[in-house]
Amino acid sequence: MMKLWCRQIVSVVRLEMKKTFFSKRGLWVYLLASAPVVLYMVHSVHVTRERRHLAQLATEHPISQAVFNDIKTGLSRDQVVEKLGEPYCQRTRYYHGGNGEKHSFVLYKYTDGKNDITYHFEDDELAWIHRRNPDTLPESQLIFATSFQFYFLRLAVFFGCVGIFINLFRGEMLNKSLHFYMLTPMRREVLLAGKYFAGLLATVVIFTSSTALQWWAMLWQFERGVIVDFLTGPGWTQFGAYLGVTALACVGYGSIFLAVGLLFRNPIIPTAVVLLLESANPFLPPLLKKTSMIYYLQSICPVTAAPDKNMPPLINLLISPTEPATTLTAVTCIVLLTFLVLALASRLAQKLEINYSTE
Amino acid sequence: MKNDLITFDNVSRFYGEVLGVNRVTLSLPPGITSLVGPNGAGKTTLMNLVAGLIRPTRGRIRVLGQCPTQSHKLFGLVGYATQFDAFPKGLSGFQFIYSFLRLFGYSNAECKRLANQVIEQVGLSDAAGRKVAGYSKGMRQRIRLAQALAHDPRVLILDEPLNGLDPLVRAETINLFRRYTSEGRHVLVSSHVLHEVDMISDQVVLMSGGYVVAEGQIQSVRSEIQERPVKILIHCKQPSILASKAFEQDHVVEAQLLSEGSGVLIKTRDADRFYRLLNHLALNGIDIEGVTPADDDVNSVYDYLIGNEEKVSS
Repeated sequence: MMKLWCRQIVSVVRLEMKKTFFSKRGLWVYLLASAPVVLYMVHSVHVTRERRHLAQLATEHPISQAVFNDIKTGLSRDQVVEKLGEPYCQRTRYYHGGNGEKHSFVLYKYTDGKNDITYHFEDDELAWIHRRNPDTLPESQLIFATSFQFYFLRLAVFFGCVGIFINLFRGEMLNKSLHFYMLTPMRREVLLAGKYFAGLLATVVIFTSSTALQWWAMLWQFERGVIVDFLTGPGWTQFGAYLGVTALACVGYGSIFLAVGLLFRNPIIPTAVVLLLESANPFLPPLLKKTSMIYYLQSICPVTAAPDKNMPPLINLLISPTEPATTLTAVTCIVLLTFLVLALASRLAQKLEINYSTE
Repeated sequence: MKNDLITFDNVSRFYGEVLGVNRVTLSLPPGITSLVGPNGAGKTTLMNLVAGLIRPTRGRIRVLGQCPTQSHKLFGLVGYATQFDAFPKGLSGFQFIYSFLRLFGYSNAECKRLANQVIEQVGLSDAAGRKVAGYSKGMRQRIRLAQALAHDPRVLILDEPLNGLDPLVRAETINLFRRYTSEGRHVLVSSHVLHEVDMISDQVVLMSGGYVVAEGQIQSVRSEIQERPVKILIHCKQPSILASKAFEQDHVVEAQLLSEGSGVLIKTRDADRFYRLLNHLALNGIDIEGVTPADDDVNSVYDYLIGNEEKVSS
């Protein structure tokens, strides 16, 4: 019997593949998945160019690190130029003070080949110094973690699962083609499993590929040595964790939206409710937090996302700090929730009737 | 209970407050059974109930002893060609049947063999490689028929199966049904083309407004309509003598001579007694060339039973 079910599941997956992977209506899922990859690539290209530019400037006008260290606030522009030479870029602005006096604000830019060093002069006196490295690996990791948790998981994977899983049943009801499955000696639970695996295959392939490409695009800007050091350190573990979290997100959200597609004629409202619950997660009390998928997914992300420095203090107050779940707890809870939702969906599938005229 | 019957036991189905079928009690033996009725009569609802695509609100259905809601047991026995003119996207005729058979759990080789066989049976071999979306209406009808036949079921349910078919294919399809039922199987068809129903059916189920109005062999149904005299057309050499003899009988209500003088149309309340009279007259010198019942076809029966309702095309 098990062999028959497996055969039937494979047949359903094969039939569904075209719809889940190659449907014209599903193109936006690819756009969602590829958007962060494109952003990382554009960023990497920009940073690489900037690095090359700084290195070239440093070669043309070499300045020793000791000279840079000599520059302190309070120096005049002439004194700075005397020590460092002419800047590669300068900008001047004028403004009027409260007493009507005209003041100047001047920026001088230098480089040591790696850092972009900006000197800010107010009325000809060096007011402060700003050193900026175009991008460092820890900074990139933090950006990746934030984008992964706040854009990729909450929006891209979430809506990707909405698009693919809801259509597995609802789309076929609208196309009036679901009855073909119902005319075969296949248990409804087996049909449900087949459709779920078809959706899972599509979302896992699309979104884990996107995660892998984002990872590659993020690292691409760095020198080979930096990348190798990182990967042999925590890099591969982090990479594996991100792929795992992506796949688990598809597993969890997929089951929810498969059930939504079976239960509701209009899935927009339940989808909005789930989105609201997932988005409101930081503000929920600790116990309620643990009922949302994103809590467990974030718990197993390898890097904690950076809090928004510009967040208003009042909103900051509303955020309830909760200890993240352990990896084992998080994975177990997601898998259990998935089984629970699929069991419910299976009951719904058993009662499903083909009545297209009411759709 | 015999296991070769399709039975409905006081079955009702409502769509919210709308009646689909109500209090249907039927027992259908093997053979070609036609469901006849106007749009909204409940024919498709009855078929969907048999196939388990919908569930009865009340009552019980058994198909060869199986409950239709247990699709994994039912669809080894049942093939259903629905009226829904929609197919999984992007598949050719062959792929459609092949994929359908794969869902039954057949092996790859078996699926290919069965798919080719049934596609040939419905005369679509040349078009098997083309996308179903590009098929004509008749071809789509045939590929649906192939899908229903593919796994060689014991019960074939066909919703308006002859719609859109050209006369030659129609005749072939009807022959196919006959071959099928000659092996003791069920063919349950719905149709509103009454002369075809007459031609193909072993029994009919007349439906109107969700109710079964009459069921059985069409002649038996006709004979049960007592309030309508039976019309019998007799071709003979002496129609006026026959008419006068017939009119002496109390059960004969009308005798109408045909305009060309070739016969007489009799209306009688007791067909059996009239046939006995005819035998007697034939033995006593009336030269009878032919006797034809004039209103025991589905059209007439339908007209008598559901005459004031929507008239179906004939």
